[in-house]
Amino acid sequence: MNLPNFPKLSSDQIKKVALSAMGFVFLLYVYFTFFLGPLEKSRNSALTQIDEMQKKISGSKGEIAKAATLERQAKDATTRFNALKTLTPDGAPIAWFPPRMKAFFSNQQIDKASARLEGNTSFKESDLSSWAKYNWVIELPQADFVALGKAISDLENQEPLLSITKLSMHVLFNDPQYQQVSISATTVIEKQ
Amino acid sequence: MALQLNLLHEEILQQRQRQRDPLKIGMIVLAGCGAILFLYYAWNAYRTIEIKTRLGRITADWKKIEPEVIQAQKRSAELTNVVNTTRVLDDDIDGRFFWAPLLEKLARCVPPNAQLTSLEGHILEDEKNGGGVSLTIEGVAAAREPRSAAEDLRQMLLEQLGKAYHDVKAEFKALEDVETVANIDGSNVPMSHYILTITFNPNAKPKPVATPAPARPKRQESDESS
Repeated sequence: MNLPNFPKLSSDQIKKVALSAMGFVFLLYVYFTFFLGPLEKSRNSALTQIDEMQKKISGSKGEIAKAATLERQAKDATTRFNALKTLTPDGAPIAWFPPRMKAFFSNQQIDKASARLEGNTSFKESDLSSWAKYNWVIELPQADFVALGKAISDLENQEPLLSITKLSMHVLFNDPQYQQVSISATTVIEKQ
Repeated sequence: MALQLNLLHEEILQQRQRQRDPLKIGMIVLAGCGAILFLYYAWNAYRTIEIKTRLGRITADWKKIEPEVIQAQKRSAELTNVVNTTRVLDDDIDGRFFWAPLLEKLARCVPPNAQLTSLEGHILEDEKNGGGVSLTIEGVAAAREPRSAAEDLRQMLLEQLGKAYHDVKAEFKALEDVETVANIDGSNVPMSHYILTITFNPNAKPKPVATPAPARPKRQESDESS
């Protein structure tokens, strides 16, 4: 085998070649670490961001479509919800509920009605977090049975968010035509 | 053949040695590698710039639709909340017990010779889980057999309430004769005092419907004719 006839290198030339080789290695290190590496990193990061953005954009189209569909589907529920909300006047329930009951029973020919608040509790259900349950006691010291039945019927129909939990009636012995009535009722009222 | 003499062979040798100088060759290789690396870097940089431009376009697109998306998400959450709240409220409204029909039934059940003096009714705590309503009725009945008059009232209540409600139970908590007499149609009749406890369930779960027996297969005409 014939080897090429390389000329002999002087010691000075060997030093230069070794220095050049070291410089070449250093150059490669600098190139990959400070130039190509960050560039790759930046490119990969941009690609990841593009993927995320595209996912967001495609997901957002579904989100907008879903909202539009829900808007159509929830039309009845929204109307019903607004109707239920209008049953609750502004202000503290203790301020408007007793006068409302007094006026209601007065219109039903039952006088001297009074209502007092027993307490209020929040709902455990997360869907009703903005609503509260108020417990009332409505006292009717003198009520005719027929008028009372009609009044309770009207009350149950006019106040869908009111439910009677306890009803107590006692005959007035000095006037057996009338009863003394106590109604415990619970109303669901939106928190102000 | 002519004889050729090379009188410059030393110079030619030197020139060849200069051309094969390892330092020079190394520098050329280094420069070549450097050029390749530079081109590779430039190509990568170009691709990166292109990708970043694409990212910029997509980001701009996203910024355009982002408010709409946020609005849609908010609206969607709001509507879901409205739908769920309305459903729960409607369940509560539909699950209420109506007292007026009960009072009407009671009024129809009480005969002329009986009187209610007191009524206490309340919804049992576990009504939502299939509980019920409890009623305590106190009153007096007057007849020649006052206890049987009270029993008639109990039977009537059982029958009438059983038409509208489920699991109706009516029991006497107390039933005793009293000294007082009542005047009915001009004659004095003895009276009894009773306390009735009635429980019923207004919203019983419907009983499972029995599955109909499978229909018999029709006989073939040959069977019928035979």
